[in-house]
Amino acid sequence: MKLPSSGASSGPSSGPSADGTGSPRPAAGFAKRPRLAPATFRLAATVALAVTFLSLIGMGLQYKLVEARLMQAQTSLLAADLDGFAALYDQRRIIALRQAIEYRAAATTTTNGAATSAGEMLLLQDRNGVILAGTRPDWPQGLPLLGDGFSTEAAQIFSDSGERWLGVGRTLPGGFPLMVARSLAPVDATLAALRQAIWLLTLGMLAAGAAVGWVAARSVMGRITRINALADKVAAGALDARLPGPRAEDEFGLLETHVHAMLDRIEGLNRATHRLSDSIAHELRTPLNRMTQKLGQLRGQDALIDDLRAEMRSAIRVFDALLDISRAEADQGSGGGLVAVDISALSLELLDLYTALAEDKGLSVSFDVPAGQHVLGDRTLIGQMLANLLDNSIKYCAPGDSLHLSLTEAVDHISLTVRDTGPGLPPEIRGEAFERFVRAERDRCLPGHGLGLALVRAIAARHGAKLLLPEGEKGFVLHVHWPKLAV
Amino acid sequence: MTDKAQILIVEDDPQTAEAVAEIVRELGCTPEIRITLEEGVTEAATGRYDVIVFDRMLPGGDGVEAIARIRAGGSTALVLVLSALGRAANRVEGLEKGADDYLAKPFEPEELRARLRALLRRATMQVLDNDLLAFGDLEIRLKARTVHVGRRHVAVSPREFELITFFARNAGQVVTRMQLLENVWNLHFDPGTNVVDVHVGRLRRKLEEEAGRPVIQTARGEGYVFAPLPNAGGIEARA
Repeated sequence: MKLPSSGASSGPSSGPSADGTGSPRPAAGFAKRPRLAPATFRLAATVALAVTFLSLIGMGLQYKLVEARLMQAQTSLLAADLDGFAALYDQRRIIALRQAIEYRAAATTTTNGAATSAGEMLLLQDRNGVILAGTRPDWPQGLPLLGDGFSTEAAQIFSDSGERWLGVGRTLPGGFPLMVARSLAPVDATLAALRQAIWLLTLGMLAAGAAVGWVAARSVMGRITRINALADKVAAGALDARLPGPRAEDEFGLLETHVHAMLDRIEGLNRATHRLSDSIAHELRTPLNRMTQKLGQLRGQDALIDDLRAEMRSAIRVFDALLDISRAEADQGSGGGLVAVDISALSLELLDLYTALAEDKGLSVSFDVPAGQHVLGDRTLIGQMLANLLDNSIKYCAPGDSLHLSLTEAVDHISLTVRDTGPGLPPEIRGEAFERFVRAERDRCLPGHGLGLALVRAIAARHGAKLLLPEGEKGFVLHVHWPKLAV
Repeated sequence: MTDKAQILIVEDDPQTAEAVAEIVRELGCTPEIRITLEEGVTEAATGRYDVIVFDRMLPGGDGVEAIARIRAGGSTALVLVLSALGRAANRVEGLEKGADDYLAKPFEPEELRARLRALLRRATMQVLDNDLLAFGDLEIRLKARTVHVGRRHVAVSPREFELITFFARNAGQVVTRMQLLENVWNLHFDPGTNVVDVHVGRLRRKLEEEAGRPVIQTARGEGYVFAPLPNAGGIEARA
């Protein structure tokens, strides 16, 4: 036996994955569940945004209503002013108008000190633009002279000294420009206050909505999490896991009931599978046993008796392999019954057992097995797998061929590789070499039933290990990727 | 030494029970047959037995589950489980639950005989703690892990030493391939090839070259007999 030979540590090459399961399920354990928070957060955010959006629409409508009402009020005030001036004009024309405006201007000036902040703006000029009376010395920009009556028709909104005003500019008969305007500052102040309130309310709604949404989402997610945790436990092999405690009378309770019913059924079927294989074993082996005992009573035909015994042993082996395969498949993915196995030591033991056989056949055997690698497994099953692989290599190789067994540790798995320089798998059965009873035409003359690799696959699946059959290699090369033992 | 040994057979198939009883009688022991689990456990509690042969799928339950009860009842009998549940996993389960040996049905008479002999030997033998196992000029030193024929050292691999030690402890008796796989390699499945034969063959050649006489003989069909003394001849001679 020689130590590490060249080509010992060939990594896993690409190739068809003869994954034990035949379906793309995660090989090692179970893929990490997406975190819970995103779903909870999304739900909470949706609730908060929806609530806020709806109330924002409500408040927006209210705002428009208030704005319209306030403008209406200002327009009425303006109309009242104009009505008053119209009455005076009717009596004594410009003179009355001038007196009234002067009076009003003086009143506002004395009470408020600043003419413009009194909430009204009045101005009467003569035809040359000379001011007759008014609260300000010049005609404001932005207010054109339109029409000649005292109606509020075509009232303009214009800005002056930082405020908005609602007013009319008229040319009274004889060319006297008259301006009457009401400040919109109170309206604007009210609306600004309202807007501020709306923004504050919106923020409040967002916060409250988020809080309510979070609480609601938490309670929903909490119950989903319960069911998810159960599913995880079942996937990890605990078929008898159930949710404790009473079930609520709602959709979640119903979901839990359904999940439980499904699990009961799966568990029942699984138990039936196990019972069936035991029953088959009992019912078939008992008559075979009687036959064996009777064979023992025969005398004188030793060669024939030995033949018959060998045939019966071989039948039992086929039948055991089938039961082993179905049991390993039934237990697939379940971690139950698996313990830490020193795969390094086990590999060397099996290699030691088979090396003598290989050397007798003229094969050279080499290995590269670092000590102390462990996987979660069943020692007997892994032993059977190794025995099948080594036995196959020895069976198909010719004198002069070599057989190499290596164990390498990768980041996320431990790779066990069996490599020989024999004829390899015939291309026509490559795709299905791991199926039951598949044998190549060329091997018909060799003993076997085509169950060895099927058992290898079932055992790999039982351990969540992946089989990789790299393409383009000479001879038979198989990588078995074992999930790493969690530290 | 096994003349008066009593063997309890708990087996619900009458033909199998009778076949086992026949083998027990051939070994010079007294068989006692019980059919159900409860009867078996009750009978075992009398403490009269050296070895109990227990079936698994019995009326009343699984014999393997009863081993703990039998032991709790104070019985020191060695238990051989004889069951149709014969897959490797079943065997390992049985051994883990306290069985001293496990044989699958269908069994061959020679295999059961060999295993019963090994158990009877264990049941009657004093604790063997001497360092030296000597068979004429063939000497095995357990602590030094050496094998000598006369003064000549026989180079054996560690596994071959385990092999010869197991043979020596069962000297003169048939040792089957499955017994070797189970006891020397600690493997509980049938690999289906002559993989053990190659190892025995190598050991045999080494020993015979030094001793100049056959040391390990092939027992037809079933296994091997370690008979290192020239006069020990036949298989039954030392039974």
